[in-house]
Amino acid sequence: MNSGFVHAAIISALYTVLIFLIAWYAHRRKEIGRSIVGNPYVYSLSIAVYCTSWTFYGSVGKAATTGLDFLMIYVGPSLTAFSWFFLLRRIVQISKENNITSIADFISLRYGKSLWLGALVTLISTLGIMPYIALQIKAVSTSFYLISGFRANSIHIPHGGGELSVPTGLLLALILSVFSIIFGARRLASSERHEGLIAAVAFESLVKLVSLLGVGIFVTYYLFDGFDDIFTRFHAVRPELFERLFTFGGASNDPGYIPSFTMLFMSMAAIMLLPRQFHVMVIENSDEKHITKAMWLFPAYLFLINLFVMPIALGGILTTGNSTGADFFVINVPLLSGHGTIALLAFLGGVSAAAGMVMVESVAISTMLLNNIFMPVIVRFHPQPWFPYLLINLKRLGIFLVIFLGYFYYRIVGDSYMLVNMGLISFSAACQFLPAMLGGLYWRRGNKTGAITGILFGFLTWAYTLLLPSFSKSGWLGVELLTKGPFGIGLLKPTELFGLSNMDLWSHSLFWSMLFNVGAYIFCSILLRQDEPEREQVRRFIGSYEQERAYHPAETKRLSKPVTIGQFVNLMAKFIGEADAHHAISSHLGGREMDADGNVPEFELPNLKRFTEKTLAGSVGAAAAGAIVDSFLSDMGSRMESVYDIFSSVRTSLDQSREALYVRLKASEIINRTLDLQIIMDDLLNLLLKEFKLDVAFIQLRNGNGTLTVKSYQGSNRRPMAPQHWFMESAPYWDMALLDRKPHFVNDTSQIGGAVNLEQTLGEGIVSCAYLPIFREGEPSLGVLSVFSKSITGIFTEEFISLLCSLAGQLAQAVTIVREMEAKERERNEKELALLKNARVTRDMEIAQQIQISLLPDAAPETFGIDLAGRCISAAHVGGDYYDFFKRDDHTIDLLIADVSGHSVGAALIMAEVRTLLRAQVNSAHSASAILQILNSQLYDDLTRSELFITMFYAKYNSATGRLSFANAGHNRPMISRDGEYSCVELDAEGLILGVKTSVIFEERSFELKTGDVLLFYTDGLTEARNERDELFGTGRVCSLLGTLRQLPAREIIDAFYAAVREFTASETFQDDISLVVLKIL
Amino acid sequence: MTRQLRHKLLRRLQFKESWVIFFVVGFIMMNFPFLHIFNKPGTIFGYPFMFLYFYLGWAVSIFIIYLFTLAVGNPTATKSPENKQP
Repeated sequence: MNSGFVHAAIISALYTVLIFLIAWYAHRRKEIGRSIVGNPYVYSLSIAVYCTSWTFYGSVGKAATTGLDFLMIYVGPSLTAFSWFFLLRRIVQISKENNITSIADFISLRYGKSLWLGALVTLISTLGIMPYIALQIKAVSTSFYLISGFRANSIHIPHGGGELSVPTGLLLALILSVFSIIFGARRLASSERHEGLIAAVAFESLVKLVSLLGVGIFVTYYLFDGFDDIFTRFHAVRPELFERLFTFGGASNDPGYIPSFTMLFMSMAAIMLLPRQFHVMVIENSDEKHITKAMWLFPAYLFLINLFVMPIALGGILTTGNSTGADFFVINVPLLSGHGTIALLAFLGGVSAAAGMVMVESVAISTMLLNNIFMPVIVRFHPQPWFPYLLINLKRLGIFLVIFLGYFYYRIVGDSYMLVNMGLISFSAACQFLPAMLGGLYWRRGNKTGAITGILFGFLTWAYTLLLPSFSKSGWLGVELLTKGPFGIGLLKPTELFGLSNMDLWSHSLFWSMLFNVGAYIFCSILLRQDEPEREQVRRFIGSYEQERAYHPAETKRLSKPVTIGQFVNLMAKFIGEADAHHAISSHLGGREMDADGNVPEFELPNLKRFTEKTLAGSVGAAAAGAIVDSFLSDMGSRMESVYDIFSSVRTSLDQSREALYVRLKASEIINRTLDLQIIMDDLLNLLLKEFKLDVAFIQLRNGNGTLTVKSYQGSNRRPMAPQHWFMESAPYWDMALLDRKPHFVNDTSQIGGAVNLEQTLGEGIVSCAYLPIFREGEPSLGVLSVFSKSITGIFTEEFISLLCSLAGQLAQAVTIVREMEAKERERNEKELALLKNARVTRDMEIAQQIQISLLPDAAPETFGIDLAGRCISAAHVGGDYYDFFKRDDHTIDLLIADVSGHSVGAALIMAEVRTLLRAQVNSAHSASAILQILNSQLYDDLTRSELFITMFYAKYNSATGRLSFANAGHNRPMISRDGEYSCVELDAEGLILGVKTSVIFEERSFELKTGDVLLFYTDGLTEARNERDELFGTGRVCSLLGTLRQLPAREIIDAFYAAVREFTASETFQDDISLVVLKIL
Repeated sequence: MTRQLRHKLLRRLQFKESWVIFFVVGFIMMNFPFLHIFNKPGTIFGYPFMFLYFYLGWAVSIFIIYLFTLAVGNPTATKSPENKQP
């Protein structure tokens, strides 16, 4: 072992430690939530993992042998970057939505989560990448020999007595594997970003750029004098080579020559389709916006790293004299010119380029291996608690497998190819994904069978025309196959398939593999149909991007048996661990609707199932996740089934099928056509039965005391309504619907738990039923609409329920309107009735008034020597005032005035009674006081019973003697106006109001009247009349008025009094009855 | 005037079609017969034709993508009614 070796080993070790530190720091920063990786610059640098040691060493090698065409490998990706804005962004969007973990996952998800497709893509990637990893191992081993000056193929380590011999390549493979496991397989969730890994890769990209630029500047400006100096000196020394290197196609006979188009095409495809590129660009993308910046940053990186390739190549040829070993000019030129430090810088750049690529590639492919090869097998077993440990270790195993496959390829093919040509074998393999990928993103018809056959044919052709010859060329398989074809069949020669000769190896392979691939893909896709899972994915892949993101298509699937959240969580925990499962579900359910039992509504279940799949997909890949959830559901006795498509026709843009709109329209027609609720309900139910596959429908409405009664029943199973009727079993449902005003439904009556007994309902053949509350927003429910189906389980989709709800709402509107109208009608009738009654009473009262008026004497009896008149005006129809005259003989007249308290009909009746009783006394010879006394004793009982009383003034006048004898039962004292006297005489006698005591003694008095005396008898209505200022009319005013009126005839005096009262009160009507009697002595 | 021109240019660059056109143009430029035009021995100021064609063309294409990304990030242009970008 020499010092160069130790030197190189120490530098490599230190560099490794540095990378570790960077990765660890990035990981730390992510843990505390301040990522250093989440920015477009790191993203662009990580995409530069595209530049491997192939770029670092191979480009110079190719530039020195075939010239400028090496550039095609970098111009291609630069061109592809134009498409990133729509292509890459779309892939990233879809991947994020579905927790995609790898390109195999992506392709298999698009074609209906096909396990076979995922496995096939994984297989191709694993085999296709072999030469590429071999290239890295070869490049690093060789550069290590160069830098250390160490020529042996293995390192000898003293071990006990002897020496342990370890091949350098193997050691390198081991170190890279450990590195990759540490960075890429710490955790299982592959859709999670590996920040440490990306930070390391980005740093390595920076190192390789700086390193190659450093070497380039050293060669161009230190060894030589700039670009033109190198070009002119080279032109002078090797003019023919100069011409060949700077033109295309000049050396088609050269075995290493590859047409520019082939390289351009392959590199354009490879930048998107190589597993590691897909991984850094899609899986590790932290923000879609970074893509925009990476679109020019990444091409700029490629531009810079290739800027000095040509000068280094030409300088190398000038320095070494020829182009053999041109692959390692980057190290050799500085070494030969004696600049070891520059060479070491170049070595580090090369190691970086190789290590970054191998780490990302192995992580990406081990994820694919785990998800698409191991998982489908594991899924077949019952989930166990130790699954997470098994899975993570399988992933680690995958990393070893990938790297060691590369190592073995290196050992077999090793030195027979140039670096670039080894890499192109891998590029060609990656191209096989192109048709399925582009077709999957843009062609709706592309189907699973097409993708599988296409990729399989392409892969077989690739293996036969490219991989096989590479083994053959190295002598491992024998050269006969190449020169004579299998079994001596010339047409099947791997390098000249079907006689296509004179074509370079890569174009030949690319042509045939693409032809078979694209051909089979298109042929099968057109010939065969897509199945349902595929169609669903097509909608997501192609539909999701072109239509608005906010658009949520109606649920088309349902779970035949409900599964609880807990069951889903348990399932997830078995694959991703308890903590992660709980974390995932709680973030998913945050703010979502849940019922009291902690379950989601039935319509949410498919979503939950999809979420479970997506979460699992993040760890085990989409295809395996689908299989896991499906087998879980079938274990539970549940499955996804298509929702019965109640609205079969094409949906309109409003997310409403034409049928739904038609039914709504019809319903509102029914409701608006009539105001007869019965007809509305019957027609509405018949519409439902006719338009949908329902068998029974009925409407119950609440009556006044809140109990439900069936108002309309349509459909089969009609029988008398009774508490034993089968539908009474649904009572708990309609009670719930009434209470919470939400629809309740059972989509499969046979699956109903023990809570509600639907035995009879089942017996009637009902398979699904729904109960919809009839209510208006913000008001209590009016009733329940119940519908039943005998033929279809799962008829009640979210859409259908919402339609039924809206119909129930319309019905509620109609019920309310009809009920309001009925109430109004009733109110009007009542009012009319009351009016009518009132009118009758009024008429009765009028009659009573007529009778009462007729009870009063219409004219005073003719008596000699007096002028007598009386009148009564009631305040109401009937009153309690009474006056009367009885003529005893030619000279004697009795007159009385009385007032029964109140103006009621009762008062009028009492007044009539008084009159009758008085008339009976007419012929008796009793005195005034005796009459009052008799009256009192006769009326006492009636008055007490009716709580009334009477005031009365009774007088007897004898015109012959001129004597007025009188008695008073508490009545207003009559007034006498005498000629020549200013004041009036008031007649008074002791006496109690009638009806107060059983027997009362009334005082009898008499008064001598003279000619010209005017007597006024009145009731209290006169003196107690009030004006606006609340003044009483008063006796004073009565007396003076009587004094001024005394010359007028009796009738006119009365009229004048009434007029005076009206004037005084300023009102046409009186507050109380007023009766006046005037006696004028002539 | 220049501002108006710049605004117009950025707006045009926002259309999806512009991206496709540049992608196709780039692809054509990297193939025959375009390559054939420069596929000649000979130098300009000591630089071979082909070398200049590739590196200058490449630099120009990167600059064009840079302009595109400017257009995408330009808020004034994004508001235009003609904008059909998703």
